[in-house]
Amino acid sequence: MANTFKTFLNSDIANVRTLLHEAIPITGTIVSGTYTGDGNVKTFAHGMFEAIYDYPYLSSSANHIVDITAGYSANSELSAASNAQNAKKINIYNQHAQVLYGYDVTGSIQEFDQDGDINAGGTKMRECFFVNFSRLLTKDEIKKDSFRLALFATSSDISSSAARTHLATLGDYGATTSYKVNSPAGEYGILYTASTDSANGLSPQGHVYYQAGIAVITASYFTGAFGAPGSPATDTSGDPAYNGLISKQIDGQLTGSTITQLADGFRYTWHNLDFNNTTELNSTIYFCRANTQDYNYSANPTYLTASKIRVKNNNPKAEPVSYITTVGLYSADNELLAVAKLSEPLKKSPSNELTLRVRLDY
Amino acid sequence: MAFLDNSGDIILDAVLTDAGRARLAKGDGSFKIAKFAFGDDEIDYSSYNASHASGSAYYDLEILQTPVFEAFTNNTSTMKSKLVSLTNNNLLYLPIIKLNTVGTSFAPTDASNQFGSGSHVVLVDSTTITAVKAPIADGGIKTGVIPGLIGSADNNHIRVDQGLDTNEISPALILDPELKETQYIVELDSRFGKLYDVSNADAAGSVAAPSYIDDDLIASYYFTSNVGNYVKDSKPGVATGAEADNGAQANFETINGPRGTNLRFGVLAATDLVTSTYLFTTIGSAMTANDNNGYYYIDSTIRISGVTTGYKIDIPIRFLKKQ
Repeated sequence: MANTFKTFLNSDIANVRTLLHEAIPITGTIVSGTYTGDGNVKTFAHGMFEAIYDYPYLSSSANHIVDITAGYSANSELSAASNAQNAKKINIYNQHAQVLYGYDVTGSIQEFDQDGDINAGGTKMRECFFVNFSRLLTKDEIKKDSFRLALFATSSDISSSAARTHLATLGDYGATTSYKVNSPAGEYGILYTASTDSANGLSPQGHVYYQAGIAVITASYFTGAFGAPGSPATDTSGDPAYNGLISKQIDGQLTGSTITQLADGFRYTWHNLDFNNTTELNSTIYFCRANTQDYNYSANPTYLTASKIRVKNNNPKAEPVSYITTVGLYSADNELLAVAKLSEPLKKSPSNELTLRVRLDY
Repeated sequence: MAFLDNSGDIILDAVLTDAGRARLAKGDGSFKIAKFAFGDDEIDYSSYNASHASGSAYYDLEILQTPVFEAFTNNTSTMKSKLVSLTNNNLLYLPIIKLNTVGTSFAPTDASNQFGSGSHVVLVDSTTITAVKAPIADGGIKTGVIPGLIGSADNNHIRVDQGLDTNEISPALILDPELKETQYIVELDSRFGKLYDVSNADAAGSVAAPSYIDDDLIASYYFTSNVGNYVKDSKPGVATGAEADNGAQANFETINGPRGTNLRFGVLAATDLVTSTYLFTTIGSAMTANDNNGYYYIDSTIRISGVTTGYKIDIPIRFLKKQ
């Protein structure tokens, strides 16, 4: 009986799971506003966050890469009704805290715990910057122990001789074996300035939530001047109120600046970022087997001339030959569901057998 | 579609078709890959040079250098010609499917026909049937003109024949059972028409039910031997006598050599074509016939594939409506 279809047996179908990683570098030049004139930094009238694109956002070529915002807990010492956007800053903090850190037994929103050990108490991160990466970049999750964010702890042109200093690289060093699982949003790693910080008893500087694609940086990381170049949020004089109190400038910014101004200041501290994302591929592999007697003839109209097979050259004893360029995967009722193309024709004759491995990723 | 890079290792470029994605989106379990087939759409076997002076290694050199397109996602744009498995490696002839142009009730219109120009014409409503009858000299529905309504006196239809279309083998010989087609798939745009059993047109259930209608609204019908009156064995030719020389013409057969089966079906106009001019004015055209009446028409094709042998044939068809 002639046949054009061959039914898959159970042994012809295999399911596998593969983790695919991509390296994602985001240089400070993009985040600090390479396209400032054309606008790759989008601000909003509501003033709740800033969106960063890799190209002027009005262009259809632009990709959204990250949002930056800031906030503090209602329990923060800095919280005061007289602050700029006080309610919005609390709202931003609570929004992130309830999604990333959840609620305590009383139903209250938990504050970010600096070392991630909630039960042990300890220092809370009550004033934070939030870096929310686009799903385009993080895909399914950020790969553990790959997150490296180089930030300047002091960054302003207030002291113009050293606009940006105290560079450190925040990373989830060693997180492959030490990540936390007590977040309702999945797994997260603790950010330190060096791999030896934890052993040396130095304080963590934030968290990175792998599946959520969010980095939470404590505002206390910023020890010196803080503000956008040329337009410090609360100091237009270029001087003074902060002379001698410069280590406190971040506090002044958190209270006196809008979220957009804080995000501007954060962008200017951004030196570099690197992480690997992860895409979980669930694949089904179909083994399409053409045995010696299979698929040696073709229904291609050019295969025949007056019903006679061309490739036999008038010799019935000659081997039939066909050439495979396409694999069609069909439903039981013969609807074409997937198609695979070979990069070059494959010769099929009774003297050879082929197994083509077609992988469909989901 | 671009070509695939064929400068290195052999790779496979696999995609879901639009129909596959639609089934996946349904989430009802209808996306289940059960079988596979191989195709050779890009191959032109006339490039096979079995008399190459440098020997057999060069016979298929041009074929093997054929660049291959990237995969199409449209399910109806690919796998047009399939490879076939046959147990006998010593075959020199393979069957084809051929439009029967011999019988007056199933041949297409003449190329000179003002309405059909060589294709089959479906008259979508009674007004059109009445109007088209008038200019035809014999007063009846002309060859190739199919009334698109059940109950019309005429039963013009479409017929294709299958077999070895060669003069080198007598039509009196029996076609190898392995080469005999027993099941056909007929694909037709469901917006334009439906298929029905012409031998039993007035009976309930004579309108065929499609197996499925894909995302492009192409309806696929399956017709099998011994199920309904769609697939019938063709009549063999005679070995001797006067008809031996013109055996193909006898009994309205069109295959010159050994014959397999034939498929016949009528075409009904879809309700949208009967009741509205929307599709005609959107994707059709208009003409003025010799009777000075204006007509809308839509040109389409009916694709017939042999499930067993994989052979395909596209039959042009025109849906006609009087303005």
